[in-house]
Amino acid sequence: MIWIEPPRPRPVSRFFETRRLLSLILVAALVWSVASVDWTGGIVHSGGGNALKDFFLALFPPDLSPGFLKLALAASWQTVVHAVAGITLALIIGLPLGVLASGSLGNPGRSRLAVAATVRFVLAFMRSIHELVWAVLFVTAFGLSSLVVVLAIAIPYAGILGRIYSELLNDVPQEPLDGLRSSGASPAKVLLYGRLPMALPEMLSYGFYRFECGIRAAAIMSFVGIRGLGYEIQLSLNDLLFSQVWTLLLFLVALVLLVDYWSTRVRRSLGS
Amino acid sequence: MSQPPSTNEVGGSGASTPPNGGVRPIVDSRSIGKSFGALTALAPLDFTVGPGERVALAGPSGSGKTTLLYILAGLLQPDRGELFLDSQAVSRLRPGKELSEIVGLIQQQLDLVPQLPVVQNVLAGRLGQWGLLRSLASLVSAREREMAYNALSRLGIADKIDERTSRLSGGEQQRVAIARLMLQAPQIILADEPVSSLDPARADEILALLTDLVEDSKGAVIASLHDPELIKKYFSRVIGLREGVLQFDIPPQQLTAPVLAALYGFDRDFPNNSAL
Ligand SMILES: Nc1ncnc2c1ncn2[C@@H]1O[C@H](COP(=O)(O)OP(=O)(O)OP(=O)(O)O)[C@@H](O)[C@H]1O
Ligand SMILES: [Mg+2]
Repeated sequence: MIWIEPPRPRPVSRFFETRRLLSLILVAALVWSVASVDWTGGIVHSGGGNALKDFFLALFPPDLSPGFLKLALAASWQTVVHAVAGITLALIIGLPLGVLASGSLGNPGRSRLAVAATVRFVLAFMRSIHELVWAVLFVTAFGLSSLVVVLAIAIPYAGILGRIYSELLNDVPQEPLDGLRSSGASPAKVLLYGRLPMALPEMLSYGFYRFECGIRAAAIMSFVGIRGLGYEIQLSLNDLLFSQVWTLLLFLVALVLLVDYWSTRVRRSLGS
Repeated sequence: MSQPPSTNEVGGSGASTPPNGGVRPIVDSRSIGKSFGALTALAPLDFTVGPGERVALAGPSGSGKTTLLYILAGLLQPDRGELFLDSQAVSRLRPGKELSEIVGLIQQQLDLVPQLPVVQNVLAGRLGQWGLLRSLASLVSAREREMAYNALSRLGIADKIDERTSRLSGGEQQRVAIARLMLQAPQIILADEPVSSLDPARADEILALLTDLVEDSKGAVIASLHDPELIKKYFSRVIGLREGVLQFDIPPQQLTAPVLAALYGFDRDFPNNSAL
């Protein structure tokens, strides 16, 4: 080499320029969209303000009559069962697909990469369709049954779990894996003794997070007409029984908190 | 003995007579080399190691010690040359069972799975022998637990057998790695900076244990380390690497201050090298 190249800070600064430009455009779009909202009419329909007031006032007190509590409990149970079944099925499908997508099984080579790429495509397809859309599709196929909710949750969630799990399995420290390999471990044994134990704490906490999302999703399935917390909320809303709506919402919050508490307990017992 | 050491003093192609009188070498490196892109991590390297030898690898950071040990362990493929372990070409050995009977690697406290209990990390030494189902079953309920227990009690940490590995101190973890190696029982033990994070007393113990394993099995040990006193105490030979090139291959007694200074590249600042 005859001359010494001058330092080239250009690509970096250009990158930042592009980013700044993008941010500017986004901010401008936001300002424009806020400004173009017709604040005088339209957005809150007449009498909507009163309905909102009634809704919040109904929180004191929520409907705690034994009869309604029983109904709320049954609806919560329904929702939890749907979520548990959905997330369990999602795990059963997502974990093996995640392992395949991570490319950590089998000997290095083209076929392994081809399998990983194919599985990644399948996972992307599964999760690119929202659970409600899956639900609508399945209702037309199976009618209004619990199977619809379970499948509608399981398929997109398996896609998400598989994607995240394949990354977690790949992102573990490499030295312990080399240690296992030098002890004669095959890729499958490296997975069992190295990747899985090292990735497990994060896989678990992500699984719990998805379970939480699954409860919300199961509740919302009322929009396609399936019973559960969301269904009861819709009925009460239709009759403007806001104190009942609040009771049901409190049950939903309680469910999410319960899952949160459980996941903290499990993670602590794993001692991460 | 005061004559300066020459490059490639021992070694050469397989045709030459092995250093210790007709015994077949168990490590025979024939011009193995490795590059990462434009960087030559290892220049073509020729050397042999006979049974019973304890070889220290010395050299500054980035000189290629880890790269060489990874190639010797079969974890990294050389770009050129051929490596023979126990008179067999490594490229033709099946990874897994065959290779793990010949060679095993321990790294500086990094080779254990922190989340597993100690017993599982030790039993991982058997993974080359076990089938997949047995390996899986052992994760649920440890197989051959007595073997792990015996190895750990020889190392004085049998009471830690059910502890989570991440809770152990650095020195204890190093023993767990040695226990794993005892179960694997390879002929050739490779160790990458096995004592660099240990206090002097611990370092002494660990090296004694490692070199003892070799006397047991009539194999060989190749370890990278920097401390000349430890090299003199526990090794029979020292190989110097710098920028991937073999600088010397000498008995440890010849590891004098000027030799070390030249290897590590502090010749200008080194106070005692006016003789050079
Ligand atoms: N996977 C890799 N990709 C690219 N370069 C690498 C890789 N592994 C090692 N190198 C480079 O090869 C050279 C030799 O590295 P190596 O780790 O073998 O050195 P070392 O002697 O073990 O150093 P240290 O004493 O710091 O551990 C270094 O310049 C390193 O940056
Ligand atoms: Mg190194």
